[in-house]
Amino acid sequence: MSGSSRRAVAAWVAFILACVAIISRTEFSTDLSAFLPRSPTPAQQLLVDQLREGVVSRQILIGIEGGTPAALAEISRRMAAKLRRDASFATVNNGENVGLEKDRDYLWRNRYLLSPAVDREHFTASALRRALEDDLQLLGSSAGMLWRKVLPQDPGGELLRLLDQLEGQTKPAMQQGVWFSKDGKRALLVAQTRSAGVDIDAQQSALARIRAAFAEAAGVGAARLLVSGPAVFSVSARETIKGDVLRFSLIATILISALLLLLYRSARTLGLALLPVASGALAGVAAVSLGLGSVHGITLGFGVTLIGEGVDYAIYLLTQMTPGTPARNTLDRIWPTLRLGVLTSVCGFSAMLFSGFPGLAQLGLFSIAGLIVAVAVTRWVLPALLSSGFSAPAVTTLAPKAAFLARHAPALRPTLLLGVALATLFLLLHRGPSWSDELARLSPVPLHDQTLDARLRSDIGAPDVRYLVVVSARDQEATLQASEHVGATLRRLTAAGMLQGFESPATYLPSRKTQRARQDALPSAETLRENLERAQSGLPFRAGLFEPFLEDVSATKRQPLLDRTDLQGTNLATKVDSLLVRRPAGWAAMLPLRGVADAQRIAREVATVPDAQAVLLDLKHDADQLYRSYRSEVLKYSLLGAAAIVALLSISLRSARRVFDVVAPLVAAVIVTSAVLILGGHGLSIFNLVGLLLVVAVGSNYSLFFDRRVDSGRDRERTIVSLLFANISTVIGFGVLSFSSVPVLNAIGSTVGTGAMLSLVFSAILARPEDRAPAGNAA
Amino acid sequence: MISGSSIRRPLLAGLCAFAAMAFACGAVRAETPSAAWDVKQLMQSMRQVKTARATFVERKYLSIVSGPLESSGTLLYNAPDRLEKHTLLPAPESLVLAGDELTITNEAKHQRRTLALQDYPIVWAFVESIRSTLAGDLPTLSRFYGVGLEGDAAQWQLILTPNEPSIRAAVSEIRIVGGRNQVASIEIVEPGGDRSVMTITEEGR
Repeated sequence: MSGSSRRAVAAWVAFILACVAIISRTEFSTDLSAFLPRSPTPAQQLLVDQLREGVVSRQILIGIEGGTPAALAEISRRMAAKLRRDASFATVNNGENVGLEKDRDYLWRNRYLLSPAVDREHFTASALRRALEDDLQLLGSSAGMLWRKVLPQDPGGELLRLLDQLEGQTKPAMQQGVWFSKDGKRALLVAQTRSAGVDIDAQQSALARIRAAFAEAAGVGAARLLVSGPAVFSVSARETIKGDVLRFSLIATILISALLLLLYRSARTLGLALLPVASGALAGVAAVSLGLGSVHGITLGFGVTLIGEGVDYAIYLLTQMTPGTPARNTLDRIWPTLRLGVLTSVCGFSAMLFSGFPGLAQLGLFSIAGLIVAVAVTRWVLPALLSSGFSAPAVTTLAPKAAFLARHAPALRPTLLLGVALATLFLLLHRGPSWSDELARLSPVPLHDQTLDARLRSDIGAPDVRYLVVVSARDQEATLQASEHVGATLRRLTAAGMLQGFESPATYLPSRKTQRARQDALPSAETLRENLERAQSGLPFRAGLFEPFLEDVSATKRQPLLDRTDLQGTNLATKVDSLLVRRPAGWAAMLPLRGVADAQRIAREVATVPDAQAVLLDLKHDADQLYRSYRSEVLKYSLLGAAAIVALLSISLRSARRVFDVVAPLVAAVIVTSAVLILGGHGLSIFNLVGLLLVVAVGSNYSLFFDRRVDSGRDRERTIVSLLFANISTVIGFGVLSFSSVPVLNAIGSTVGTGAMLSLVFSAILARPEDRAPAGNAA
Repeated sequence: MISGSSIRRPLLAGLCAFAAMAFACGAVRAETPSAAWDVKQLMQSMRQVKTARATFVERKYLSIVSGPLESSGTLLYNAPDRLEKHTLLPAPESLVLAGDELTITNEAKHQRRTLALQDYPIVWAFVESIRSTLAGDLPTLSRFYGVGLEGDAAQWQLILTPNEPSIRAAVSEIRIVGGRNQVASIEIVEPGGDRSVMTITEEGR
């Protein structure tokens, strides 16, 4: 081993040790939202945040079926009682009126601070007179029996006003005192976990507690438990990802190892061939860990493809070595092509680095680092470990056959041209519906789980919140104040029939400014007593009836202002926490709207509310919009990546004709792959698009080697064998991923697997005959 | 000082007054009372009535107000489970009971609310006191009340006392007075001494 070889090996060992050290401290995540787009606007960011951490992400829908309504209701009650005592859950609702007392107690005790009607006019003699006359009428009505109890403390009817704001939410059907599906077959519960949806460990333990509570409540009966919701999805997705990563890495490794053993007939050579890719994988994980903080499970799954792609470099070297030639000579011969191939691949993967999906950026960084390290190990470390006369015996026997195939491939040119023409025509005709525009397509949730979720959701009548006004400000108080301004506008629009109603955190927790204003507006005890006496004259109320009212008002005037801690233990606290959230910069309030009739006008008016930064989000429209904008962004980066590859080829090859020769098979492969995917019955998703870019990045290696001017017929034959095996290993690497149930892995796997294979075949078919001429014709 | 729990199910529990909707009915006259006339026979004769219309006057005697509060309007019954009470004076309001749902409409205030009776046990108990009586449904009536009967077929008084303590806290007794298969008045007495009396006059008889 020469001095430089020794240095190379030492550097490699040190590098591997460093990678292992970094990886040992790496955090691995399976957060699915990594494959949701990072959002460009603050409002859309909020949308994604909600999906990660908001109330929606904490909700677990529970159904119990398989029993008589009475039995199911009993299980529901027992489960709910058990889960309510569990600190993992913020709320557990099954329709029983549990916890509402606390809510009403809060509203009752603080009614004069909470009521929007309280102002300086509210307790004048004439206003009180009007209120008392209304009270008398109410006493005579159907509500009179109850009203009589509240009246001495609340003649102004503040409580009724506050309760009115609580009403208006749709509720599931009831049977036996608990929620049931309309057909009476399922008892329903909704639990909300304390931990955020992204905390999958906590979600998993919450699910386990639900199952345990059910087992305890149901005993050995026939009742079945159904659970759904984001928590269930992320937990099962984590299992799927873990399983897929392990399974597919193993399958790909075994298949590729078997292939290489067949080719090299030597365990040592197999070990050497896997050395670059193993180093690359370690480097990739370490790079992602250093660069992006944590490594996603899906990134590891993607590592499978690197096995297929990264092993190519070793294959090119090992397969093209001839007996009696030192590895260095072979390397010198193929290095320019190899280097260009790696650079084009890196160009392609770079486009993923800039995409809006944090997950795709991880895949990009992982692949770039992995490929560079794999090729570097092939270039500098492998020669030091290879004995100088190494040659793979099987290659010698395979070479003529491969060469024969390659020689006759151009005969298929007319067929290929016809195929590409047909595919192009098909794509042009299919232009409309070929893009799948639903965000749901990106969802890693299996269809079966989605159906169950939709069924439980419609059972529960969970409001499909579509319109949401988002109010942002620098702190909690400012956000509440701004929400109150927006609330005033929304009340006006409600009266005008533009919507049916809305919710706001300021309803339950007004800003301190508003609370103080209401407190100040309450008259002094003496003034209020005088006003009341004048208002009461001539009405039949018993003397002294309203003493409790006078006491409550003067107590309110002295009481400390409300803050979040006063809500502790009520359902309203959960509500306020979900509607009022801290953001990375400042705070945001969310005001869900009901029964929107004119979204455009609401959007306009809300945006122009003075002293408030507010925007109307249309969740459905905006989410689809988000997806489209991401697709066009990915498309842009993909085209840039493709352009970079062409530019790189132009600079290196310095010949328009050769660039065309290299690019033409790739373009043909992309066109035919797209057509095949669409024929397969799927619209193309963002991930397919990324896959097509990778077809160009990976496929360029094959067409480059076909394009390479070689110096002898034998080398030519060996090159073709090396390409064949490199291609098969790549197709195995990506191909096994197409069996994954994780959409991103599945889409990229099937796209690149198909595309890579076509690239090689098309390169062979389109290779210029004179380039295949034996020695002496080298450029 | 009232506590939070005493205002549980506010407003709606007040709808207990709904129970005061009752009226005389009976297109078919009951046969001559026998010596062994009892609740079963009363219920049997009430079941003959399929539809009826009446006017009512309701007086509430409340300790907090001097003098009774009076309201009036119309009542409508359709066997077996639909009951409507339309108050016209002093302020319009309508209550419609259909199956398990009670809908309250206040046109003047643009309010309309539908409740499931299961959610409001007290309202449910009040509602059944009169609906089950009109429908002649003794099993349902007995589920909520102890049923006492005085008088004879021509002039009877049904005395209902709630079984559940939680409902006894809201109402101590309901007295329904009638003759044959017509209801003439309903009196609701509360534990605190407040009471309401609804006098019913059937139309078209």
